[in-house]
Amino acid sequence: MDPLTIGVAGGAALVLLAVAGVRIAYAAALVGTIGLMLLMGGVYPAIVAAGTLPYAKGTSYELSVLPMFILIGYLAYYAGMTRTSFEAAKRWFGWLPGGLAIGTIFAVAAFSAVSGASTAAAAVFARVAIPEMLRARYDRRLAAGVVAAGSTLDSLIPPSALLVIYGIVVEQSIGDLLVAGFVPGIISALVYCVIVVIRCKLDPDMGRPITGFSWKERFESLPPTAPIWIVIVLIFTSMLFGWATPTEAGALGAFSTLVFAWRHGMTWPQFRGAMLDAAKLTVMIFTIIWGVLIFVRFLGFANLPRSFAGWIEGLAVHPLLVLLAIYAIYLVLGCFMDAIGMMLLTLPIFFPVIESLGYDPIWFGIIVVKLAGIGLLTPPVGLCAFVVNGVRPDIPLGDVFRGIWPFLLADVVTVALLTAFPELVTFVVDLRVR
Amino acid sequence: MTPSDAGRPRPPAGAPLLARLDRRLGRLEDALNLVAAAAIFGVMAFGVAQILSRTVSGLVHGLWPAIPPIAIYGYIDYVQFVAILYAILGIAYCQRLGGHIRMEIVLTTLRGRLLWLLETGATVLAVAVTVMLIAGTWDNFHNAWARGDSSMDIRLPQWPSKLVVPLVLAVLLARLLLQLWGYARLLADPAREAVAVPLPETAREAARREIEEAVGKVEASARGERG
Repeated sequence: MDPLTIGVAGGAALVLLAVAGVRIAYAAALVGTIGLMLLMGGVYPAIVAAGTLPYAKGTSYELSVLPMFILIGYLAYYAGMTRTSFEAAKRWFGWLPGGLAIGTIFAVAAFSAVSGASTAAAAVFARVAIPEMLRARYDRRLAAGVVAAGSTLDSLIPPSALLVIYGIVVEQSIGDLLVAGFVPGIISALVYCVIVVIRCKLDPDMGRPITGFSWKERFESLPPTAPIWIVIVLIFTSMLFGWATPTEAGALGAFSTLVFAWRHGMTWPQFRGAMLDAAKLTVMIFTIIWGVLIFVRFLGFANLPRSFAGWIEGLAVHPLLVLLAIYAIYLVLGCFMDAIGMMLLTLPIFFPVIESLGYDPIWFGIIVVKLAGIGLLTPPVGLCAFVVNGVRPDIPLGDVFRGIWPFLLADVVTVALLTAFPELVTFVVDLRVR
Repeated sequence: MTPSDAGRPRPPAGAPLLARLDRRLGRLEDALNLVAAAAIFGVMAFGVAQILSRTVSGLVHGLWPAIPPIAIYGYIDYVQFVAILYAILGIAYCQRLGGHIRMEIVLTTLRGRLLWLLETGATVLAVAVTVMLIAGTWDNFHNAWARGDSSMDIRLPQWPSKLVVPLVLAVLLARLLLQLWGYARLLADPAREAVAVPLPETAREAARREIEEAVGKVEASARGERG
């Protein structure tokens, strides 16, 4: 069998094992090691080649940013950042049509800057924002949809673990990716707001403005949100002006969140629980990274990524068509797969294609992470929709998904905007001080 | 309930030896994950110290150029030395809790013997790859030991952190063998109660767990503030 055939067979085997429920890290490492045995002509060299990766990736300085970001996310709950961000957003944006829904979008966007998990943001804001929207007689589908959709902003706005993972797999600058995520995250939030305003203008009963807040009340709502802004400024300016590495900025962000959490009354058992949970999520991500990189090493030996990219180039179709096909694949996979698994399994094949077609690697990372966020909203396993329904069982799952559809349309608009104007992503990267 | 509580071994339920081994190994896994958590805290504290020392000494250097700016020498080497702890020590703990990512869309539609057959098969494959990786990572350690590999800046020996990998993978192997036992007894008799194995989670169950974790934390925090 020629190497390319072995590579294709390996890819098929990995998909089969993943669908059968084998944990992706083990499935990828197993197929990768067996593939290396076939291609390197022996058991020993393959095992040695695979055996270097857990240490090499485990001790990568670039990857040491991940536990810092994860820790910020787990500590953020104890720093009292959810209610304060919602209260401030409500006072500042409530006067708009659908004002509470818009307030929710901005509050989730701000919370995303200190949080690491979309599902957790959905759970918390379903608890904080939906009751208030329902009391103000907002349409329950809008209320549920805006919380579920808003929570996916988390994947773009730093600290984003998904962007770090992308950077590691395709060997791009983590700092560039993190800086690049800010503007698309804000654009995404603004497009959501436009959708809400249009819907509430067309049907005012869907969500009426909330008025009556004085400027004094508005400004009074800002100081309690300081912990969020401090973390945002620390991470963004360190990336942009280069005064700290991503790991150092993450460490400072985690430390300041820890201080705020302590001041907010975090107890020792809560701190211990947050640290243990952070350790668990960290090892999960590291394991799948080195597991998949064993598979990637095998694909490299089989020359599959380059051959696939060459084949696509040989088709002589417009690059945009290839790009749209890749978008479609991500949208379909996102319906069934976890975002991390989906990215790690597809990027080794898709990324060389994207590079060969001349697209910007940082821009593509933002697009992939945005598409992965959409996967959290689409049935049958749109986890954020299930979370909102779980917190508010009085809003049926069908209504949650119906409430989400307009925001999926907004996501399509955002992806189209970012595709048509890639400078929206890359201009901030060009501003970085190297 | 936090995830760390969720995976605590349950009382014996028809397989006392398996449950006892599960509990004992669980204690070791808990301890290893605690060390991993401490390593994360250490890297955080070290990162803050590095920024502070660099910034403060930079300011002092600006005022009195005779005093040179200082940064922690070998900072990256130290971080890399400690990093292996958080990167791998919790791997068996995460496996016990069913934390490693997988597609559950097929598994959650299955019941009885077919489900346990797939779980058993998946665990056999995990055992196989872990055995291979123990051999490969041991070789990696052995080479570092024999060659005297060291870090770039401050020449820290690399063999201790390379030795951690096969040792921890051996703990994972023990966990996987216990789970293999747990699934095999369910395959033999699907009416038995599951012991020492994580069960597949539907989207609804996963959502419920996420809610308990996130909302529980926020409410605990709010109670703490009021209290």
